[in-house]
Amino acid sequence: MTTRTHWARRVVPLMAATAMTLSALPISAQDQMVARDRVGPVDAENSLTFRLTAYDLYSADEATAEGFEELFTDFINDNPGWRIDTQLQTGNLNEEQARILEQSQAGRGPDCAMIDSAQLAAFKEASVLAPMNDFLSEEEIADFFPYVREGITDDEGNVLALWWFTDLRVLYRNTDVVPDAPQTWDETQAAALETVEAGYEGMLFNGGRTEGTAFDWLAFYWAQGGEIVDADGMPVFYEGENREMFLNALEFYDGLVESGAAPQRVATITTYDDITAAAAAGTTAMFIGGNWQYAQLQTTLDAEQAAAWEVSELPGPTADQRATGTGGWAIAALSDDPAKVEMCVEIAKLYAGPGNAFQRLLPTSAALYDEYEEFAGPEFAVFAEALENGQARPGVASYPEISAQIQVLIGEVLSQAKEPEQALDDAAVALDAAFSQQ
Amino acid sequence: MTSSSSSVSADAVPRPDAKAGLMGQAQSHPLPWLMPVIVVIGAFYLYPILDALRLAFTNASLTGGEEVYSLAALRAVLTNPALPTVLGNTAIFTAASVVGQMLLGLGIALLVVRGERNSLPGMLVLRTIVLAAWVVPGVANGVIWSMLFSEAPFGAINSTLGLMGIAPVSWLSSPQNAMISVIIANIWQGTAFSMIVIYAALKGIDETLYEAAAVDGALPWERFAFITLPQIKVALLINAILITIQTLNTFDAVISLTGGGPGRATEVLSLFTYNTVFNNFDLAGGSVLSIVLLVIALALAGLYALFLPRGEK
Repeated sequence: MTTRTHWARRVVPLMAATAMTLSALPISAQDQMVARDRVGPVDAENSLTFRLTAYDLYSADEATAEGFEELFTDFINDNPGWRIDTQLQTGNLNEEQARILEQSQAGRGPDCAMIDSAQLAAFKEASVLAPMNDFLSEEEIADFFPYVREGITDDEGNVLALWWFTDLRVLYRNTDVVPDAPQTWDETQAAALETVEAGYEGMLFNGGRTEGTAFDWLAFYWAQGGEIVDADGMPVFYEGENREMFLNALEFYDGLVESGAAPQRVATITTYDDITAAAAAGTTAMFIGGNWQYAQLQTTLDAEQAAAWEVSELPGPTADQRATGTGGWAIAALSDDPAKVEMCVEIAKLYAGPGNAFQRLLPTSAALYDEYEEFAGPEFAVFAEALENGQARPGVASYPEISAQIQVLIGEVLSQAKEPEQALDDAAVALDAAFSQQ
Repeated sequence: MTSSSSSVSADAVPRPDAKAGLMGQAQSHPLPWLMPVIVVIGAFYLYPILDALRLAFTNASLTGGEEVYSLAALRAVLTNPALPTVLGNTAIFTAASVVGQMLLGLGIALLVVRGERNSLPGMLVLRTIVLAAWVVPGVANGVIWSMLFSEAPFGAINSTLGLMGIAPVSWLSSPQNAMISVIIANIWQGTAFSMIVIYAALKGIDETLYEAAAVDGALPWERFAFITLPQIKVALLINAILITIQTLNTFDAVISLTGGGPGRATEVLSLFTYNTVFNNFDLAGGSVLSIVLLVIALALAGLYALFLPRGEK
């Protein structure tokens, strides 16, 4: 009897508590509008799959994730009856984009996805993107920057994606060491050498096997008026006048390393984060980076150190010849269901407006700069000025292959394995061989 | 009692004639018995290889389009000026990795066996430490070594060298050093596998052979050359086949350590294949390279197998 009483006293409350917890689980799951694999109620009438990158809603940065969680909660409350099934893209973005493309062609792709602007041409060529015109006003379409509008529109005038933010490359400098912004390549090398004399490791930039290497550097080629492809999408950068301009830009990079203005280790840098880390550690006083790194430096460094960092337009061969590569990400619908396409457009607008304002990324519509006060900082004046010389990647499906060859040849030059002429000639032979089968 | 035991054993053991009947059926009609294995191997191993072979003779691309059979992809890949460099990198990377892993694996295994024979403490810990590197995923291996080899002023190895007054080394930005760095990272990870295989083989050697050699006054190197090596020869060859294939397929550690750079200095065939498919969207070209990789692996495996004792191939 004593044993039974003891059992009843210990086990019955435990079972009751377990039962209560279990019965409460579905309720808490219902209440939680943002989970790791969805936004919205589990039992929503309509659902849409959305494949996104890990830089916002599921960001490793807690503040960013929380901010987007709020934005998405408001969004789903404004769209009752919907659930967004989220699918996360891994860090290997090239592979992820290829996977989305392949799955979409097989009819197994997501309904809505984030597409790298560098890959938009490949998606357009594969005819897997659903037109969004019905859900965008003519004013909204007209308000996109011209290079953005060109990138997202097909020959029939269909808007196939919403390019929700753009980015650009600028020159960062620690004004305690380099007070005046260099305007030309020669001034840049001289300033970088001064930083080396002051004990820094010189100017840093991407030089490893990554898209950033090709794209950052192309600004110096574009600044001279160089063309990468002809009207048929065939590479022409190694022919005629283009070849000369290409070699000029290559020799600028080569000269930086040979003179010691940049360390040879730039040939190993494959992420902007490596560069931000060096700036935060105080080992470099100059670097070529993306506009988003400005906000990273402001949050990483203490106020006094952060205030010392300023941005300026990328230098040119002369002060009048400037360009900067403009990239960014788009959101596109891959579904034939009009309701899902509309929902995808609404998600894209969420990112383009409040999402950009929260992250201080650069919107692709002029009107949004006036709408949000977050874009009032002095750095945005520099970005806006640089954007006037913005140049997008060529909208051809062959760009990734061309970029890969440019990455290889830049690496060969920076590691001093080849002279610029030899590296360019080898890339030309490789591209001719690759394009001969098309 | 005796009667009962014999009755139980008679029920438990299949009757010889029943067993012979099953064997007879299997021998006279083997297909139904082999069918499950044929289906599994066919579906999961043979079909992908045959499909890759088919794709190699098309213009298939990840961006879609009409698939046409042609030799263009084969021609483009085989005449690609980067291919000789990539094959050279693959040969150096594979040969150095296999030799390094075998030698280090053999050394550690001999050390562990000798330690265990002399009841030295810590042998289990030593084996566990070596195995720890083996369970690290390839990508993580690359990330770990990229932090160690970092040429930034705060890079781990260069900072340590700096404390000793030694000039920093261009571990990853010099094409020659980059290949050495990638090989070191791969050997670090792969040594454990060789150690396990060779350790098992060493444990299987009959102790009386060493006792007889001791009686005959054999020197340590003679015992190693005339007893140990011949006794573990098969294990060494099988290990060589396995780690050669594994190294030929390695690209995860390379992609996260150097990305194949600087330039193409560390781009091995498996990484070149991956880049062809996922960067250039060239499915046909990637399929041609996959077949090249398969042929190389089979040729090397066949070469090793020639040295296996007869009856053990």
